[in-house]
Amino acid sequence: MQQTLRPPLRHAKPKVRLSTIARHLFINFFVLIILLPLAWILLLSVKSLPDAYSGRLWPEQFDFTHYNYVLTKIPGLSQNLSNSLIVTFGSVTLTCICAVLAGYALVHLRTPGKALVIGLCTATLFFPTRLLSLIPIYEIQRSLGLLNSSLALILPYVTLNLALSILTMRGIFEQIPGELVEASRMDGCTTWQTLFKVMLPLITNGLVVLIIINFVSAWGEYLFAATLTSDQSQRTLIVVLARAFGGVGQFSFPRLAAAYAMVILPGVLAFALAQRLYFKGLTEGAIKL
Amino acid sequence: MAAISTRATRQSRLSASLQHWGNWVFLIPSAIFFLGYMIYPILRTLWLSFTDYRYLRQGPANFVGLQNFQYALSDPLVLIGLQRALQFTLVFLPGMIFLPLILAVMVDRVTVRGLATFYRVILLIPAVIPGPMIFVMWRLLYNYEIGPINYILVDVLGIFTKANAPQWVGNPSLVIPAVAVFQWWWGLGYHTMFFLAGLAAIPKDLYEAARIDGANEWQVFWGITIPRLRPIMAILVVLRFGTAMAVIDEYLLFGGFNRGLPTYTWTVYMYDLAFQTGEWLQGYAAAIGWLGAIGMLIITATLLYIFRNRDNN
Repeated sequence: MQQTLRPPLRHAKPKVRLSTIARHLFINFFVLIILLPLAWILLLSVKSLPDAYSGRLWPEQFDFTHYNYVLTKIPGLSQNLSNSLIVTFGSVTLTCICAVLAGYALVHLRTPGKALVIGLCTATLFFPTRLLSLIPIYEIQRSLGLLNSSLALILPYVTLNLALSILTMRGIFEQIPGELVEASRMDGCTTWQTLFKVMLPLITNGLVVLIIINFVSAWGEYLFAATLTSDQSQRTLIVVLARAFGGVGQFSFPRLAAAYAMVILPGVLAFALAQRLYFKGLTEGAIKL
Repeated sequence: MAAISTRATRQSRLSASLQHWGNWVFLIPSAIFFLGYMIYPILRTLWLSFTDYRYLRQGPANFVGLQNFQYALSDPLVLIGLQRALQFTLVFLPGMIFLPLILAVMVDRVTVRGLATFYRVILLIPAVIPGPMIFVMWRLLYNYEIGPINYILVDVLGIFTKANAPQWVGNPSLVIPAVAVFQWWWGLGYHTMFFLAGLAAIPKDLYEAARIDGANEWQVFWGITIPRLRPIMAILVVLRFGTAMAVIDEYLLFGGFNRGLPTYTWTVYMYDLAFQTGEWLQGYAAAIGWLGAIGMLIITATLLYIFRNRDNN
């Protein structure tokens, strides 16, 4: 993203100052719109029960026990959390491996049928693939005996973003000059060695983008997860939380908010820490769609 | 001599092409997943749509031709469902294109580097929150009793009283805007990044030249920025049209299987028939799915055609 930070359009007139202030006010309005709901839900997670139900914005009494309650007192929730972790880790890893290999073959190797593969990937972006594949995927997973298991979700999750991931990797590999591949071939590297020794170090920023995109979609997928698992103990955290209606008992509002904060914070923090790599990855071609 | 050399080249050509096909090793993992969990299922859905298939029923599925499609076209729930999806799309799409566009133009001009990065990071936070979690949060924000939106409207601003405060989730005419708003919240930063990438690609001397010619901000915006961003706008319109028409997760969570709510669109109806009603009418559900998909494809193709024409002019 560094490239976009170009020098200002120069103005000499003083009225421009006013427009600069207006611009920042405008942007900050949206920054607040993004931040306030998140702040409110974090605040809700530390309100005492009476305060949470009164609707008052600032609580009279804080209560920090909700996090502990969610982690230890709600039966099965830690199991749901570990399901989510397994499913997400499995599908992100598989998708990234597939996409890196495919992107490499599509850009730096002579592969017959390149145009067809790219065309197919692009076409799936315009088609409701998830909706139209749901019924047979249920059949497939059932006949493989996978329903109510982590694999039931990992396998179809790979295809959720595979097309986009391959196109993203293609964009990133295109930024690497072909001469580099030639040179490493001259040095006697096989195509695999070229990929691992020459290419991988160069695509790490792009990989960060890829991992974040796939993490978000696998961590938060609902439709497949709700359909392919029916045992509460096999469900992912997302499904359990999304269905926690009511706001009484186990999932009284502050507790729901606490669970919520625990689900979204890892992703948000990881993104905040990796943002430099992420934006570099974007400029390196990941956003070219 | 000549014969030998042609044979040699033929052989080397053959081995080269074999080697090139050998590069498919790199594509095979992706191909397996695509075939197993995308292409085969979609084609299988197509086949099911021509049968009276019911899940778990004894006996094979019978081919019934276009019967399912005929039913679907006269099924009021399908027609209303498609209409509802289209209504949501028409509410959702303009906001999802123009808000990020304007915001991107503003953020693009922030010159303090740290601040520019700060804005980008904040704006992208919703993009790293999973969709259903966005929904969980906004259901709390919209909550009639404890939600801060109604708290502000009733207790702070006094526009409404407790008795007539808007029921964002329960009121059929408010549900669609309510869903659209939280989808905007989710997509705002992500789409802004697309436009920022597009803005970065506009040559700066274009602006300078226009300014020297005496063009004002407004003219520069309409004369240079918008035309240059048109390809990105086109692709985003088409992509978001596709996602908006096929929304299902949010509807399932927001309205469930309440057929009276505007969230009961063709996608929810299809899911309802296939997995929920207990009759497991998956053949008919498949037909509804394909009917909706074909309708979407027609509009998508039209949109692509319109945008292509404009680009040539």
